[in-house]
Amino acid sequence: MWKYLGNRLLRWIPTVLIVLLVVYALVFFGAGDPIRLIFLRAPGDIAYNPERVEAMREAAGLNKPFLVQFWNYISHLVQGDFGNSLLTGRSVGSMIAKAFPITLQMGLAAGVFITIIGTILGIIAALNHNQWVDNIISGFAMGVWGVPVFVSGPLLMIFFVKVVRIMDVPYGWHGIFSTRTILPLLVMTITPMALVIRQARSALLQVLSEDYIRTARSKGIPNIQILTRHMLKPILSPVVSQVGLIMIAILNNAVLLETVFGIPGVGNLAVDSITTSDYPVILALVFIGSTVVLMSNLMVDLVLPILDPRALARKEETD
Amino acid sequence: MKNINEIKKNKTNYENAIQDAPTESFLKDAFTRFIANKGAVIGLVLISILFLIAFIGPYITPYDFLAQNIEERNQGISWQHPFGTDDLGRDILSRVIYGARTAVIISLSVTLLSFLIGIVIGSIGAYNVGTKIDGFIVWLIDVTMSIPSLLLVIVLNTSLKPLFITWMESQYLSTKNPIFRETIWVDFILVFGSIALIKWPKAARIIRGQILSIRNKNYVKAAIASGVSTVGILRKYIIPNSMGPVIVLFSATLGEAMVFESAFSFLGVGVRPPMPSWGNMISDGLRVWHLYPHILAAPAAVLAIMSMAYSFLGDGLNDALNPRQWK
Amino acid sequence: MDNKLLDVKNLETVFKQRKIIIHAVNGISFSIKKGEMLGVVGESGCGKSVSMLSIVNLIPPSGTIKNGQILFEGQDLRKINKHDFYSIRGNKIGIIFQDPITSLNPFLKIGIQISEGLIYHKKLSKNQAMKRSAELLDLVGIANPKERLNEYPHQFSGGMRQRVMIAIAISCEPELLIADEPTTALDVTIQAQIMELIKNLRSRLDTSIILITHDLALVAGMVDRVIVMYSGFIVEEALVNDLYDNPQHPYTISLLKSIPKLRGQTASKLLSIEGSPPELLEKPQFCPFAPRCKYNIEKCWQATPPMRSVSEDNDSHKVACWVNKKNGVEK
Repeated sequence: MWKYLGNRLLRWIPTVLIVLLVVYALVFFGAGDPIRLIFLRAPGDIAYNPERVEAMREAAGLNKPFLVQFWNYISHLVQGDFGNSLLTGRSVGSMIAKAFPITLQMGLAAGVFITIIGTILGIIAALNHNQWVDNIISGFAMGVWGVPVFVSGPLLMIFFVKVVRIMDVPYGWHGIFSTRTILPLLVMTITPMALVIRQARSALLQVLSEDYIRTARSKGIPNIQILTRHMLKPILSPVVSQVGLIMIAILNNAVLLETVFGIPGVGNLAVDSITTSDYPVILALVFIGSTVVLMSNLMVDLVLPILDPRALARKEETD
Repeated sequence: MKNINEIKKNKTNYENAIQDAPTESFLKDAFTRFIANKGAVIGLVLISILFLIAFIGPYITPYDFLAQNIEERNQGISWQHPFGTDDLGRDILSRVIYGARTAVIISLSVTLLSFLIGIVIGSIGAYNVGTKIDGFIVWLIDVTMSIPSLLLVIVLNTSLKPLFITWMESQYLSTKNPIFRETIWVDFILVFGSIALIKWPKAARIIRGQILSIRNKNYVKAAIASGVSTVGILRKYIIPNSMGPVIVLFSATLGEAMVFESAFSFLGVGVRPPMPSWGNMISDGLRVWHLYPHILAAPAAVLAIMSMAYSFLGDGLNDALNPRQWK
Repeated sequence: MDNKLLDVKNLETVFKQRKIIIHAVNGISFSIKKGEMLGVVGESGCGKSVSMLSIVNLIPPSGTIKNGQILFEGQDLRKINKHDFYSIRGNKIGIIFQDPITSLNPFLKIGIQISEGLIYHKKLSKNQAMKRSAELLDLVGIANPKERLNEYPHQFSGGMRQRVMIAIAISCEPELLIADEPTTALDVTIQAQIMELIKNLRSRLDTSIILITHDLALVAGMVDRVIVMYSGFIVEEALVNDLYDNPQHPYTISLLKSIPKLRGQTASKLLSIEGSPPELLEKPQFCPFAPRCKYNIEKCWQATPPMRSVSEDNDSHKVACWVNKKNGVEK
């Protein structure tokens, strides 16, 4: 078991390294010289003095070959130093530390809602298979699945603020429990929840038709016991295995959502850094993003065998 | 009550194997099932309208989508301007129509390109299963799919753009060919190129999976054993059998690509103004939504409807082509 | 008066699929005594599984019992309340299902699946139930029962899973065991083992057993009595030896002729019965076997024959046929 865990961790390191390498290379060869960019953005009339630029570049080690620079970056990374933002000069670490908790709160709240409510709705839909309740829930899930956050967000915003007039403008960050956070949270939850609803519903429908449920009924035990003991795991199992996908969806949503609602979280940071080619920030965010996704996949791999004993047997075969 | 399992057990294995083979009536059944799904049909109609508008768009726009008319700016819905005008006085309806063109051009290019790459790589993987080549391909697919796509594509886009522009400038300088002045195409190519780079793994994975599972079926093994060539196997068994999932994936990718493109334009890294894309129209509209919501609402509503249409269509196709017993 | 453990009268079960109604069971009546083993024989689709599973209401959701009385120990199972019904199902009536691969929950340990019934019905504590489960596993012939309690179904082979199913079915020491084609999904050598096991259990536990199978050869040497079903009807009922020595119904006769025999006085041609069973879309108002029967006469097409006794002094041999095969004359 631990061997399995260690195995997966070992696999994760080269993956992240390669991703970082690719992104680093892209930014390095593409985005343009960071020092020059600083100058171009600086307010006022700071003279574009080529010699000064060259000196600064030398000082920042930007004349060294690509791999050397990359290696420097990695060695700093391992020590937890993400470097400094090219735009603001502040430590990237501190910028992220400020933005991360916000996104984390939203992400966690959304995640909880998505899982619990999504599963419940999916179960309700399945129990009322093909009746109006099912059709509404499934139709809703299907409909909103494709609609992107930056479409549903503004539309809902217009609806609630202008048409129905029940809330204030949801802009900026006022804490997780503020009423202004409800709308962004709602929007963030809807799309991934559609996925969970469909998973839970199809899982339950599948389970209900299984022979082993008939066996369970043949024992004469009460239905509640059948639901909790025999059905829960088969339903949760496919839902949990989708957690990786859900995480990616939440991350993607965060980026767009924070732009729409002006929330100063990681997503907003990402967009700003990319449009300004602030590549230490970009790299740090890509690193964190991939880590989060890979970590959650790892956790799923750990939790899944607990739920589904066949998974462990399969894993041992394939590794 | 005839039980499929009971019937199957009483037949020989050969007959069972034959039963798994697709029959001509499969397509007919699928068609009937599809038609019965009202949501899917509506979705198909809407998307057909979208494609239609995309193609004939330039001929039906009431106004030039670039024409600014400062006096008429920020007007609401009226007979002259069914969707109103934006803050530069441009007719929103025309811009929405042009946005449809953008959406369709890019989503189509993305889907075709990613499918091309996906089919090639997926087939290579499937036909080399068990070797390091396939192992590498599977790993590549997994890794690419596990990165938050939005970030990666944005990075790709922003890093490659300056390179492209520099290259085009140098080309223009050397050949004096005016094509290289059209930087708008740079936008387009970059956007759909980078989205395609994210989408191909899914296609590759499905193609590879299909080839592997179909080749494993008993009746295909029988055909291989009796000497049918690889091309023949492809033609007769693999392609018809994988049509189902491939079609579903195609339509899904079209929809996703459309959404992706608008997301990038929204963030400012895709198609940029003045070229209209629903995404950048929404972002423009977001600045003044409080005062003039229609600027935001028009493209947003259209995008919402279209993505819902894709969703229903995809689901309908899935049910029609990959039926599940217990539905 | 009766020592009838189970007495079924006029059972009718139908299935609804969208607008189509399928008449799976068309009014059958039979009974079984305490300690008796009854074989239910017929080809696929004749309604044997559906009718027996109707007794314990384990038919698929699209099915409903339209009519009939199911008297178990004097109580009509269709009329008692839910709570009482649950205390009978699994407790007094045990069921062994056809496909052991899919009939066990892959997510739960074997020990849990066996002890569930014991804990609920017999109010045993978890420890007691586990102990008893281990004993049951031993009884059905599984080695290392204590260790295997903690394993999952996928760690058992097909034959062993069926043994586990049997252990589950007999766990509460039921009065009646319904075995729905228990060996059909297994290969022949395992088949023999499982049938041997059932035989042993029967003599040890004195349970009544209903053995459902399409394999006529299986019931010989196992059961006391046999009922033969066709198209949702019972067409013949007899003691097992009577059935083999003196089959009355044309369908039974053909069935017996189509059993391949390794040795025999004459190498008789392997007969297959021409035609196929009818679609059960309507309840036939005539003898269901008439289209395939070579003895059929006009009356066969006019009304469904009732079950009538053909044995001299008792009801032990009954057949539903308008034709007495000896004389070709209507009885």
